[in-house]
Amino acid sequence: MTPSVALVGVSKEYLRGRESVLVLSDFNLEIPQQDFVAIMGPSGSGKTTLLNLIGGLDKPSSGQIYVAGERIDTLSNTALAHWRARHVGFIFQFYNLMPTLSAARNVELPLLLTSLSGRERKQKVAVALDLVGLTDRAKHKPGELSGGQQQRVAIARALIADPTLLVCDEPTGDLDRHTAEEILSLLQILNRQYAKTVIMVTHDPKAASYAARQLHVDKGQLVNDAVAVSA
Amino acid sequence: MKYLSLIWDGIWRKRGRAILTGLQVLVAFVLFGLLQGMKSGIDDAIDKIGADLYIVQHATGFSPMPLAMYSRLVAVPGVRAAAYESFLAGTYQKPTQHVLAVACDQDSISATIPHGAIVPPAAVDAMKRTRSGVLVSESLARKYGWKTGDRIPLETSVLRQDGSLTWTFDMVGTFVPGEQSLSPDFMIINYTSFDEARTVDRGTVAMYYVRVTDPKQGLAVAQAIDKLFLNSSDETRTESARESIQATLESLGDMDFVVRAIVGAVLFALLFSITAMMMQSIRERTAELALLKTLGFSDGKLFWIVLCEVLTLCIVAAALGLALATWVLPTARHFTNINVTMPASVVLAGLGLAALLAVVTAAVPARRLQVVDALAGR
Repeated sequence: MTPSVALVGVSKEYLRGRESVLVLSDFNLEIPQQDFVAIMGPSGSGKTTLLNLIGGLDKPSSGQIYVAGERIDTLSNTALAHWRARHVGFIFQFYNLMPTLSAARNVELPLLLTSLSGRERKQKVAVALDLVGLTDRAKHKPGELSGGQQQRVAIARALIADPTLLVCDEPTGDLDRHTAEEILSLLQILNRQYAKTVIMVTHDPKAASYAARQLHVDKGQLVNDAVAVSA
Repeated sequence: MKYLSLIWDGIWRKRGRAILTGLQVLVAFVLFGLLQGMKSGIDDAIDKIGADLYIVQHATGFSPMPLAMYSRLVAVPGVRAAAYESFLAGTYQKPTQHVLAVACDQDSISATIPHGAIVPPAAVDAMKRTRSGVLVSESLARKYGWKTGDRIPLETSVLRQDGSLTWTFDMVGTFVPGEQSLSPDFMIINYTSFDEARTVDRGTVAMYYVRVTDPKQGLAVAQAIDKLFLNSSDETRTESARESIQATLESLGDMDFVVRAIVGAVLFALLFSITAMMMQSIRERTAELALLKTLGFSDGKLFWIVLCEVLTLCIVAAALGLALATWVLPTARHFTNINVTMPASVVLAGLGLAALLAVVTAAVPARRLQVVDALAGR
């Protein structure tokens, strides 16, 4: 079975002023399809960089990245943008919703890049909002929703184009414990019932316990790879 | 169409700023429309003056010429028709209400004299029947509330045979000045009765108009006319009516340069101000644009969305500004005494300019966005 994500000898360095900083060094990783992986590590360890590379938001300085068998590190910026639209759903710590658009319009955004008609887009948006339990909030703007509701909108937006890979950067970092658990349970359902591969960066061991596998990253290296005890 | 809500939200995310920017564009294009419309309107009017029309003036430029020259002029080979006119300048009721009366032979009003183009035949007949008759341009009649049958007294500096400086005319009709007429407000009186009644310059005219048979031979005919009167006390200077009016306007200053300089300065200032506004707007939305890129929107698609926002704002505001200028321009003749309407070419040029302005202002801020940096708030 082709792994969902494979990193082969990936290094990433940034230029800070005139100084070159090595964030990831000769990183190798395989994530099978339908896995739920939590990436943990101290600040500056390279976990968000790792997530950005897997999600096709950034390119490695060297090495190869494969997602669902397709090599993505050699794609042009435009091709990478198209690839992201088809294959990856993103969930952020601060939800990153468009403040001027309603919940439904926010969820619809990825579908604007498809050839679906307005009616088809509307139907899909209704299904996605129903899945995250926000049908009655479709017309509300982000400012009129709680943090948990906003994150549910973000999850609906991540799901709408039916990607195989969900990339989550501290998805519960801005939520209270109870709401965080609801969101994590939702991610678990998406992983188990809807066969999505979920890769989540988190500082929170409790959040990480929802994942099937925990990766510990430090100083740009994979220091521990363990199967978690599921929450 | 599916990006409409994104574009619409982009425009109105700061309502006050959008309205102020729109007003800025609107005012700039009102100014553009007025200045460019005025200039193009005058150019159009000059262009409409037939290429076959020539003006014969005294070589000194201001001395009157004998009416006896008329028969010699029409006999010059290549001359199709000729006409003459004199002027009577006066005031109506107040010293500030100036009125110009053009004295001419009624048979040549429509055919030869360029500014009396549309005179109804009935009005010409009425003039022939009434020695003290006057035809008034529609706009001048409206201005002073005159109607057919009214007696119109003009205070002048021209002494009448009866010792009076007041010339009274009987209004017999109105006429519409030709499109090529620069000034819409004047009246037409009978040359014969005018000449008989005045005490000075009797038997003379201020200028002759000549229509040539072949405009290509116009210069040769003009030279032949001037040669005919060379070394006489009434030496002439014959030139194309079009070039003559152009020269008169140029003597007032380089209008082209003035219009271009003002419009250029205004649009240049507008370019900076809208670019600054767009840069600020984009800066405020860096995270949102980064999000759209994350979701798969390409740089090109984002540029088009930003461009459509600026285009909509600029085109709508410029169209309103040009519409306002089109509406205001005809009333400008109250101040300039120049008869102009907005040419369609100026409206199209204005809209084109607004589109160009939008493209330039959108291109500057919609540079490539580094999505990882933008998401991280860098």
